[in-house]
Amino acid sequence: MGEFLQYFPEALTFVNLLTLVLGVIGGLILGATPGLSPTMAVALLVPFTFHMEPATGLILLGAVYTATVAGGAISAILINIPGAPANIATLLDGHPMAKQGKSQTALYFCFISSLVGGLFGMLIMVLFTPPLAKIALRFGPSEMFWIAIFGISVMAGLSSGSIIKGLIGGMFGLLISTIGYSPLLGTPRFVFLDVLTGGVAIVPALIGLFAIPQVFSLVETLGRRIERPDFKPEKGVLLRTIVENLKMVKTLGIGSITGSIIGIIPGAGGQVAGLIAYDQVRKFSRKPESFGKGNPQGVAAAESANNAMVGPSLIPLLTLSVPGSPTAAVLLGGLLIHGLFPGPDLFLNNAQVTYTFIASLVLAQVAMCVFGIAMSRYSYMVMSVPNLFMIAAVTVLAVFGTYSVQNSFDDVIVMFALGTLMYIGRKFGFSPAPVVLGIILGPIAEDNYLKGKLIAETDVGVFSYFFTGAMNIIIILLCAASIGYSIYGEIKAYRKAKEGGI
Amino acid sequence: MRKDIVVSSVLLAGVIALYLSLSLMDDPRAVIFPRVIILVMGVLSLLLLAQSVLVRGKGAEGEAGGGFPFGRFSGCFVLILAYFFFMERLGFYVSAFLFFVVVTLVLGSRGLTIRKGAGRVAAGAAFTAVLYVLFNRLLAVQTPKGILF
Repeated sequence: MGEFLQYFPEALTFVNLLTLVLGVIGGLILGATPGLSPTMAVALLVPFTFHMEPATGLILLGAVYTATVAGGAISAILINIPGAPANIATLLDGHPMAKQGKSQTALYFCFISSLVGGLFGMLIMVLFTPPLAKIALRFGPSEMFWIAIFGISVMAGLSSGSIIKGLIGGMFGLLISTIGYSPLLGTPRFVFLDVLTGGVAIVPALIGLFAIPQVFSLVETLGRRIERPDFKPEKGVLLRTIVENLKMVKTLGIGSITGSIIGIIPGAGGQVAGLIAYDQVRKFSRKPESFGKGNPQGVAAAESANNAMVGPSLIPLLTLSVPGSPTAAVLLGGLLIHGLFPGPDLFLNNAQVTYTFIASLVLAQVAMCVFGIAMSRYSYMVMSVPNLFMIAAVTVLAVFGTYSVQNSFDDVIVMFALGTLMYIGRKFGFSPAPVVLGIILGPIAEDNYLKGKLIAETDVGVFSYFFTGAMNIIIILLCAASIGYSIYGEIKAYRKAKEGGI
Repeated sequence: MRKDIVVSSVLLAGVIALYLSLSLMDDPRAVIFPRVIILVMGVLSLLLLAQSVLVRGKGAEGEAGGGFPFGRFSGCFVLILAYFFFMERLGFYVSAFLFFVVVTLVLGSRGLTIRKGAGRVAAGAAFTAVLYVLFNRLLAVQTPKGILF
């Protein structure tokens, strides 16, 4: 906490504050734009941070991450399309409120509750991240190898309807990470084409896997009509909503605590946080039947939970390289291109950058609420951006972002090829997040696997080195639990579908 | 589940091809890690195949299909490839402007009027101008140079 306060003023410099404000405004707009996912928005921005100071670049990414989660609620409330998976629970009561002519009130509830939950989550992150990073100091190659595998297993379970497909995606990502020259021996691997000589860099992969499938999906939806409710701004609503919202202590408490707990669990994600909090608040309500029909408590519960999730979802990322959500996985890519490696190194050798980033995340929550409320009355305009323009703009930005990192046209080709492949993969039920994580964690996994193997061969043997020791066993059990839980979920869903079919 | 049978079969074929390609690598020590990954992928592909054959019913089939707009999709694909081709010849900003205009006119050709067309050209010009000022002037980001700028 002391270091956090020591570096807090760094986040208040003119450049950092300006970046923060622009990031929040941009994030709100991107989050509110139907068809643009927060993960894709952050992925598109990663290459541009390459030209900035590390702290400033990370502030931009963090601000966009924070704001897109809240911004996604705008499209959920106004047009019944969640801007992000985290906003699924928001639309259950948010959209009925909009249909009753209370769009403005619903949006105000959303941003105020997001602020409360977001600040609570940030407090949890500030308190728990540094001590957990110190534990990671004890990790050797075998533990680091298993941590990389744990990250992939978590994301595999989270991002796809099938754990097998998720794991195949993760393995595919690991395989992609081995393209190019071997880090230890310098010999070429899988270089079947000239464009692959330099391997597959993180940024082209990130952009290709998230942006190109989105472009093709937008092409598919061209011509579909979206019903938009009337939006009539009124005076005096803000003050009334603030008072009413802050009286919901129990709702905000359940949302914030649920979101923080879910956030710490790697891979559980914002949609789980929002839905669990919504369900709990409904169960504790005196009028559970009013939920789903425009009850503001539903919006408050969902939004406080999904924003409380943001801070804690970064705890496993910053301490162990295990992202708590797909967007956090992209953020990991942002850290790595600035030469920042998650773990104790981040807090010992790069304390200034790290704590400035954390401080800016706290400020981003406040900025998100202020600008979200201010922009509410104009949010309707964002809904009106035609998909045609989004297709063209996202493609151009994807190409530009990819090219600008290494001034390499080969990267653009790799980006487009991976994106097209991912689009086809999505048609078969595969998700980009495990692939991205495989590409990011691949070098960590391989490096530590080979180091561990060398140590093991001169010591206790490979099996004993990787499969014994308290920490190894704990992480292996966590991997097994993560995969086991996903299998359990699939079996449950299968049985439910079967019973429904009968 | 038929989709899963197709995808697991394709994956298995790919895994076998990749495994065979490992023997072509110069140093066997460099392929220790890739070999482990390929083997795991092979096992997972077999599991997916077994699951798709044994488990009947509606599984995760990816995104909802509906009528696939093949014409629009292939049109967009070709335009992106053309954009790549012209990017290094015409320069980033000129090709970006042309791509924006052509994509919006071609993919949104239904009910196109002169006014709508002019609006799209104006939007393309504004978008390119913002990119130019932000990235060329303010951030000094390197982009492919061509005619004009």
